Amino acid sequence: MVLQARYADVPIEEKQRLFDEVKADARFESYLYGCYECGICVAACPSARFYDFSPRKIAQAASREDLPMFYEQLNDDIWNCSQCFSCTRCPRGNNPGGLITIMREVSINNGLTSAKTALEGYGRVVYKIMSTGTQVSPDMLQPNAFPDWGPHVQEISDNLALWRRALPPDTMHTTSTAWYVDDRTLTELYLIWHMTGVLDMIKQVDTGLHMILNDVMEELLEEAGFTPE
Amino acid sequence: MPETILVIGGGPAGLEAARSIATIGGRAILVERRPVLGGTPDESNYAALTPRMGSAQDALDILRAGVVDPDIDVRVNTTVTGCSGTVGDFAVTLISPTGETTESVGSIIVATGFQHFDPGRETQMYGYYEHADVITLPDAEKMLKEHHFVRPSNGEAPRNVAFIQCVGSRDRRLGNEYCSKVCCGVASKEAIEIRRLLPDCKVYIFYIDMRMYGYWENEIYWPAQEQYNVTYIRGIVTEIVAKDGRLLMKGEDTTMGRPLEVLMDVIVLSVGMEPSRGTRDVAGILGIAQNKYGFIALPGEPMDVVSTSVPGIFVAGAAAGPKDLEDTIGMAGAAAVRAVGAVRGGARAGAAAAR
Repeated sequence: MVLQARYADVPIEEKQRLFDEVKADARFESYLYGCYECGICVAACPSARFYDFSPRKIAQAASREDLPMFYEQLNDDIWNCSQCFSCTRCPRGNNPGGLITIMREVSINNGLTSAKTALEGYGRVVYKIMSTGTQVSPDMLQPNAFPDWGPHVQEISDNLALWRRALPPDTMHTTSTAWYVDDRTLTELYLIWHMTGVLDMIKQVDTGLHMILNDVMEELLEEAGFTPE
Repeated sequence: MPETILVIGGGPAGLEAARSIATIGGRAILVERRPVLGGTPDESNYAALTPRMGSAQDALDILRAGVVDPDIDVRVNTTVTGCSGTVGDFAVTLISPTGETTESVGSIIVATGFQHFDPGRETQMYGYYEHADVITLPDAEKMLKEHHFVRPSNGEAPRNVAFIQCVGSRDRRLGNEYCSKVCCGVASKEAIEIRRLLPDCKVYIFYIDMRMYGYWENEIYWPAQEQYNVTYIRGIVTEIVAKDGRLLMKGEDTTMGRPLEVLMDVIVLSVGMEPSRGTRDVAGILGIAQNKYGFIALPGEPMDVVSTSVPGIFVAGAAAGPKDLEDTIGMAGAAAVRAVGAVRGGARAGAAAAR
């Protein structure tokens, strides 16, 4: 329908299939009503200030069922969202961020190259959260940890131990995790990763990470009497 | 002093004005140019009324029943050709196939309505008289009345239908700078009807601003988008050309920031309102002022929406500019009260008319 659609080589049937998968999600109906293009979501969106990204266009394309544009967004736009949900101030009751959540899941479940690329830099943090149940830990403050941590991470990490000692509160009690997580909590988390399909999603985008996580989780899950399929 | 009031025009405004006059104990002569009452909604085959989708003919039947009254003298096939006198004592000349008569009336209500803009009248790029599948809102209305929406060129069901808004409205070049007020709602209503008839047909509305006042927003606009998946695209089409037996329309999708070329099977031009021939003629005969667009001028707006430039002559409905039916019916009641007041009232009515 538009003149300058990217991905013209991808068959329309494939675009339709992926769109139908998004639309079939149980959340879709309550995330999208109609859009009169007021732009309040873009005004509120932090990502829109820094990227060529528009939650309005996400809602519009889905509402119009504009398949070429939807497919462009699925590949090129959805990973620019920070999932802060400021866009839910929509007067029509739309939730563009929620649409993006669904689109990301569909993108991962279908192993789209764009999803793999987008998540490439996050392998370490995904590993951290899924294996330890904690977020970024002090020991992760390394120049190679995240590609987008900026130019100053090198000088900080050079003297990390010194910085840490200089802080008044006790910051040395744990450095490999952000906080202490007991085995029972970990076991429950591992069960959640398995039973909600999170591990299957990881498998689609990073088979190596999937293998490592399975190894790490094996012992606790065995003790809990759970056998992954 | 004659107690009778002349109501010119047998559309919704005139019917309701005559009924209201009788309701408050006045007498009316209702003249209508056509052989039937009902006005433009009847003449232009309106099917369902915006926004609640009720049958237009059922609604007109109720209005027609309202003028079956010993105090209302209904004269169809009749036009006004002359007028003299002042408030309280006008002499009007009426012509019908049975001859010419002169009637003595105390006041007059003009309810001569509007006509749809003719999209072929001026230099338009939409090819209304060139492409069979380029139609207008009333053309679509006629098909929808038969519950049958097809491509006029071949009788087949369309797969893609587009409405183009503001055709003949909001255009300095054409001289019609005003918004015609109802076309957004009517187009959205027709879009819903098309989607109901043809669930596989995609329907687009190309607009400049969607103007869905009051409850039209939630009763027409939102349902069109949310329940019937009508696609609204902000951007007006610049031209329509024939391509492979279909219609290629070129425009800009302004909110997406992209030029646009789409193939359509039927394109509906949302034509606006202009003063009807009757409104122009009657204004001249009665000597009442018109605004720059030819509609009857309302010197007392916004607080007086029915008094014309001549005391004792009032206006109701789309003769005074673009009006929806709610406005029209409200104006008719107000005009009736003022017209009856003018024949009965002496000083107070005179003062009100002079204001």
